[in-house]
Amino acid sequence: MIEALSAVLLAAALAVSGTLFARRARVLLGLVRAGAPVERTGNLPRRARNEASIVLGQRKLLQRLGPGLTHAFIFWGFLVLAPTILIAMIGVVDKRATLPWLGHQGWYAVLVDVFAVLVLVGVLAALWVRKVQRPPRFEGSHLGEADLILAMIATIALSLLLWHATRIALGLNEWPRGAAPVANALSHLFGRDQATRVLERVSVWAHVLTILAFLAYLPRSKHLHIATAPFNVWFGRTGPGGRLEPLRFDDEDVPEEDIRFGAGTAGDLTWKQVLDTFSCTECGRCQDACPAFATGKELSPKLLIMGLRDQVLAQASTPLVPGSVSEAPTPLVPGAVSEEVVWDCVTCGACVQACPVSIEHVDHIIDLRRHLVMVESSFPAEAEPMLRDVERASNPWGKAQSQRADWAAELGVRVLEPGDPAPEYLYWVGCASSFDERARHTAASTAKLLQAAGVDFAILGPRESCTGDPARRMGNEYVFQAFAEENVATLNEAGITKIVANCPHCFNTLANEYPDFGGRYQVIHHSELLAALLAEGKLAPRRSDTLSITYHDSCYLARHNDVLAEPRALVSAVGRPVEMQRSGKSTFCCGAGGAHMWMEERAKPINLERVREAAATGADTLAVACPFCTVMLDDGVQGGDADLRVVDVAVLLAEALEGEEPVSAEDEVDSGPCR
Amino acid sequence: MNVLVCVKRVPLTGGKIVLTEDERAISTRHLGFTISPHEECGAEEAIRLVEAHGGTSTVLTLGPVEAEEQLRDMMAIGIDRAVHLLSDGGEWDPQATAAAIVTAIRAEDEAPDLILFGNESADAGNYQVAIRVAHALGLPCVTGVKGMSVEGASVRCEQEVPDGRDVYVVPMPAVLTVKEGLNLPRYPSVPGRLRAKRKPVAASRPTRPDARLEMVRLVLPPGLGKHAEVLGRGPEAAPAVIGVLQELGLV
Amino acid sequence: MTVLVFVESPDDELSQQALTFARGLGDEVHAALMGEHAGPDGLAAYDVSVAHVARGLDVYAPAAWAQAIVELVERTAPAAVVGPGSDRGNEVLAHVAAKLDQPLAANCTSATPGDPPTLTRVRWGGSLLEEARLHGAPMLVTAAPHAVTAETVANAPVTVSATDFTPAVSEADLVARVSERAGAVAAGVSLTDADVVVSGGRGVGSAAGFSVLEELAELLGGAVGCSRAVTSAGWRPHTDQVGQTGTKIAPEIYIACGISGATQHMAGCKGAKKLLAINPDGDASIFASADYAVIGDLHEIVPAISAEIRKARSG
Repeated sequence: MIEALSAVLLAAALAVSGTLFARRARVLLGLVRAGAPVERTGNLPRRARNEASIVLGQRKLLQRLGPGLTHAFIFWGFLVLAPTILIAMIGVVDKRATLPWLGHQGWYAVLVDVFAVLVLVGVLAALWVRKVQRPPRFEGSHLGEADLILAMIATIALSLLLWHATRIALGLNEWPRGAAPVANALSHLFGRDQATRVLERVSVWAHVLTILAFLAYLPRSKHLHIATAPFNVWFGRTGPGGRLEPLRFDDEDVPEEDIRFGAGTAGDLTWKQVLDTFSCTECGRCQDACPAFATGKELSPKLLIMGLRDQVLAQASTPLVPGSVSEAPTPLVPGAVSEEVVWDCVTCGACVQACPVSIEHVDHIIDLRRHLVMVESSFPAEAEPMLRDVERASNPWGKAQSQRADWAAELGVRVLEPGDPAPEYLYWVGCASSFDERARHTAASTAKLLQAAGVDFAILGPRESCTGDPARRMGNEYVFQAFAEENVATLNEAGITKIVANCPHCFNTLANEYPDFGGRYQVIHHSELLAALLAEGKLAPRRSDTLSITYHDSCYLARHNDVLAEPRALVSAVGRPVEMQRSGKSTFCCGAGGAHMWMEERAKPINLERVREAAATGADTLAVACPFCTVMLDDGVQGGDADLRVVDVAVLLAEALEGEEPVSAEDEVDSGPCR
Repeated sequence: MNVLVCVKRVPLTGGKIVLTEDERAISTRHLGFTISPHEECGAEEAIRLVEAHGGTSTVLTLGPVEAEEQLRDMMAIGIDRAVHLLSDGGEWDPQATAAAIVTAIRAEDEAPDLILFGNESADAGNYQVAIRVAHALGLPCVTGVKGMSVEGASVRCEQEVPDGRDVYVVPMPAVLTVKEGLNLPRYPSVPGRLRAKRKPVAASRPTRPDARLEMVRLVLPPGLGKHAEVLGRGPEAAPAVIGVLQELGLV
Repeated sequence: MTVLVFVESPDDELSQQALTFARGLGDEVHAALMGEHAGPDGLAAYDVSVAHVARGLDVYAPAAWAQAIVELVERTAPAAVVGPGSDRGNEVLAHVAAKLDQPLAANCTSATPGDPPTLTRVRWGGSLLEEARLHGAPMLVTAAPHAVTAETVANAPVTVSATDFTPAVSEADLVARVSERAGAVAAGVSLTDADVVVSGGRGVGSAAGFSVLEELAELLGGAVGCSRAVTSAGWRPHTDQVGQTGTKIAPEIYIACGISGATQHMAGCKGAKKLLAINPDGDASIFASADYAVIGDLHEIVPAISAEIRKARSG
C-alpha cells in the first residue's frame, strides 16, 4: 500500500519535474537550432580529445588549482553519484530494494561515500571563495542563483549521507558493512527506532525531491551549463585559434536578403554562438584574463556573453506572429551590449583560452563588428581613414605603394617582378615593416640575416598589399576578402610555396585564413626561420651575458599560433632571458590587436600596463616579434618611466651578428609614434 | 527632386608624384584611385537631398572605362544611377568637358533640379567647368558652398569668406560647386556595395574636340626634394628650434 | 596692347600679385574695379594707367561682375585679362570665359604672350606644374597665389585716370548674388591670418594629443591646424584642416607635427614662408618640402620647445 502510494507520488514528481525540464529544453534547443549555420562537425578525434581533457579532465578549470579542484570535486562527484539517483528512486518506492548489482558493491559504496564528502568539501570551498574571498571576477554574475544551487547540491549530498547512515542504523544497507566509512560513522548517532525509520524516509524523499527540483530549475539558471557545456566543448573550434570564419557574399544560391553580414540581432547568431550563451557559467575567468577589462574598459567578456544570452532568451519569449508585420527585433548593439564593449576588444583571445566551457568570445565580437561596419557603417570615426586607405591605397596609412620597397633599396633585396622565377622563400614584409620607421628596422635586419645565411628569398615590393587583417578585425569582411583574393592571385601567379613573415598578423592571415581563399602555402614566422638557421649553424651570433632580455609574446604568435620556443631561442642566443609573469600562451596583449592600432584607447592604456610588467623583470631589453608590439610597447616605454629598449628579435640577432655593442636604452634614437 | 553630381576619377598620389615618361600624366602604376574630397561631399549631399525630398540622385563622370569604379563607389553609398561619358583616358580641357556634360544633361529624361560639382577637381584644378555648364544651360551658379538647405523652390547656400559666410539664395534648377566640410560623407555599407553592382550605368562616348587650353607637359615643381636642415633629434633639438623662431622674430 | 586686371581691392595682396603678374603681358595695365565705393587709390604704384570702376555692383554677383569685365573687353580689346587666384578672382574670370566662350587658365605661375601664348599653371594644388598653350583671345588667366611677389614700380605715374561706367547687367546675371553676410564663427587667431601655424597629423595619435600643439600655438600667438586624416578621425573640426581641400595658409612658419606629407596636405601649406617638420620617420616625405627638420616624437619635442620659449621669455 505504502509502496504504491510512494510510486504514485514519485511518478507525479517525476512528471512535474520532467515536464518543466522538457518544456524549457525544447525552447532552448529550438533557439540553438534556429541559429545561423556554421561548420563544427569535422575532426572527430580532436573533438573527442577536447571532451576528454576539457570536460572529464577539467583541464581549463584546473588552470587555477584552488577553484578548479573545488569544481572538479563537485563535477566528478556528480558523475560518480549519478547512479545513486536511480538507487534513491528505487528506495523511495521500496525501501528494501536497490539497483541490481551496483547497489550491492562495496567499492561503489566507498566511492559514493568519499565523493559525497568531496562534493560537500567542494561546496564549502566554493562558499568560502564566494563569501569570503569574493574575487572580482564574480562582479555582475548571478550570485543569489549560485547560492541557491550550492544549497541544493549540499542538500543532495547531505541527504544522501544521512539516508545511508539511517539505512545502516536500520540494517537496511545492501552494500557490505563497513564499506561506507562516513555513513557508518554517522550511523552511530541513530538507534534502530521509529525516529530513525522516519528520518530514513525523510532523507530519501528530500534527496529525490531536491534532485527533481534541481532538474526543473537547471535549465532556467546558469547551471544550464551542466547540460550544455559538454556539447559546447564538443562543437568548439578545432582549427587554429587565429582563424575567423569567412562570410560568403558571392554565393549565387543565397538570395541577397539572406546574406549574413555578422550579427545584428539575436537571430543572426550562429547556433554555436547561441550554445555559447547557454553554456556560460558566469565564472568570470574570461574577465580576469581580459586586458581591456584589466585596464578599466567597459568590456567584460563575461557580461558580453550574458548580455547576448539575455537577448536570445528575450527574443524567444516574444515570438513573431506568423504573417504579421511585427516590430523589428531589438538590435544586439546597443540592446544586449554597448557599442564601447564591441570596440574595446583587442581580439587577443585570452578570454577564449581561459573559458572552461569553450565559449568563443572573439567570434561574437567580430560578428557584432561585422554588422556594425558592413551594415550600419557605424564604427569609431578615427578608424575610418585606415579603412579607406586600406581599400584605396592598399595599406592602412595611405602611403604610396611605389614606396613600399624603399627600405630594401640599398640592401640589394630581390623585388619579384611578374614572370620572375619564384624564390625558395617569399619574404612577406607587411605594411608596418614597409612604412613605419621603427618597424622598418625589423625588415632590414631580417633581410640582412637571410642574406647572411644564404637563403634564397625575394619580396613583392609594390605588388604586396595589406593582407586585409586590420579591415577584417574591424569587421569589414568584404574589404578583407577583396584583398585576400587579390593577394592569393598574386602569390599563386608568382608560384610561391613558402612564405616567411615578420608580422604575426600577416603570418596568421596568410597561414590560417588564406587557405579559405585558395592560398595554401607553407607559412612561417621570421623567428621560426631564423631559429632554424641558428640551429643549422648558418647564423653565429655573439652572446652577451650582461644583456638581460625579457621577451613579450605577441598574441597572434603565441596564443593563436603556438609559436613560443623559436623567438626564445633567438633571445637566448644573444643574451640572458628573463620571463615576465604573464608569458607564453598566457601573454598579455600590447594593446594593438583587433585593429586597435588605428583606434583610440579609452581608460588606462594597455601598453603601459604591459611595459610596467616588463620593467618589473629588471631586464634592460624588451624583445618583441611583432611590428605592432614594437610600436605599442615603445610608445609605452616613452610614455612611462621604464628604462627599456624595445626591439625586434631579428634586430637583436642582426646586431649580435655584426658584433656591435648592444645598444642600451639611453643611446637609442628617439622615435615617436607614427601611427 | 532630382540631383545630379559630377565627379572625376583621380589617382591617390600619396607622398610622391612620379610622372610618366612622356611627361603628360602621373604614373599611376601601383596607385589607387578616388574622386576629389569636394566631390565626395557633393555625392553625400545629393543622397541626403533625395532622402529628404524624394526623387532621384545621379552621378555623372567623364572618364576612362575604369572610372566605372568611382561611379559604383558613389552608388554604393546611395546614389541611384550613373551616367558615364567614356573618354579615351586623355586630357579633356574645361571647355570640352563642360560641353560634353551639357550635352549629357540635355539628354536626360528628367532635367535635374540641382547640379552639383566639386569646387575644383583635385588634379587639374581649372575652377570653371561648373560655371561653363551653368552658362550653357542658363542656370544660376554658386561656388564654394559649405552649407546648403532647400527652401521651397529655392536653395540657400553658404560660402565661407575670410570674415564670415556669404549667403546666396537661388531658385532651382541651379548649379552649385561644393567644398569639403559641407558634410561628412558616409562609409559605404556592404549591402550598398552589392546593390551598386546592379544599378544602371548609362554609357556614351562623346567625341573630344581640340583642346583650347592645351596641356604640353607636366613638370614637378622645383623645391620638392630640397634638403631640410636637420635641427636635431628628440627634445634636445628644442634650443635650435628657438633659434629659428628668434630669427623669424617670433620669439 | 593693354592688359586688363580684375582688382578685388587695391589693398588686396592677391590682386596686387595679379597686377604684378600682368605687367609682362602688355604695354599698359588697366584695372577693373567693382562697386560704389571702389576707388583707384594705391593702384598707381602698380603701374596702372587706367582704372575702370563699374558702378551699381555693390553686392557680389559673379556673373554681373563678369558682365562688367566683358563690356570692358569689348570696349578696350585687351591682349589679356588677368584675375587674382582667389576664390572670387577665379570665379569671376570663369564667368568671363564662359560668356566670351574663350579658354581660361586658372592659377598660372607664369605666362608668355605669343601665338599661341604659353603659360605654366599649377595642378594638384601646387604639387605639380603644367605647361600649356592657350588657343584664344583675349588671353584669360588668373595668377596663382604667391607665385609672384606683389611689387610696386619705382617710376610710377602719379595719378591713375579713373573712368566710371555702369554695365548693362541682365536679370539673369543677378540671380546668384550675396544676399546677406552671416557672422564669423571663429574666435581667436584664424588659420588664414596666423603668422604661426602649429599643425598635427595622424602621428598626434588622439584628440587629446593636440593639447601640446595648442599650448605651443598659444605661446607663439598662432593657430592650430591639422591634416585630413585628423579631421576624418574626428579629432579636430574641418575648419582646422590645412590642405588642398581644406584651408590654404601662408604663415611665416608652419610647424608640422607628425604629418607625413601627402601631396594633398602640402598643397595647403606651401604658401608658408618656412616649414619646420617634426616627425619620427626620417624618410617621411614631408622632409622633402621642409626647411627645418626635427626627427623624433612630437609628444616629447613640442613640450620641450614650449618650455624653451618660456625660459627664453622669462630670462
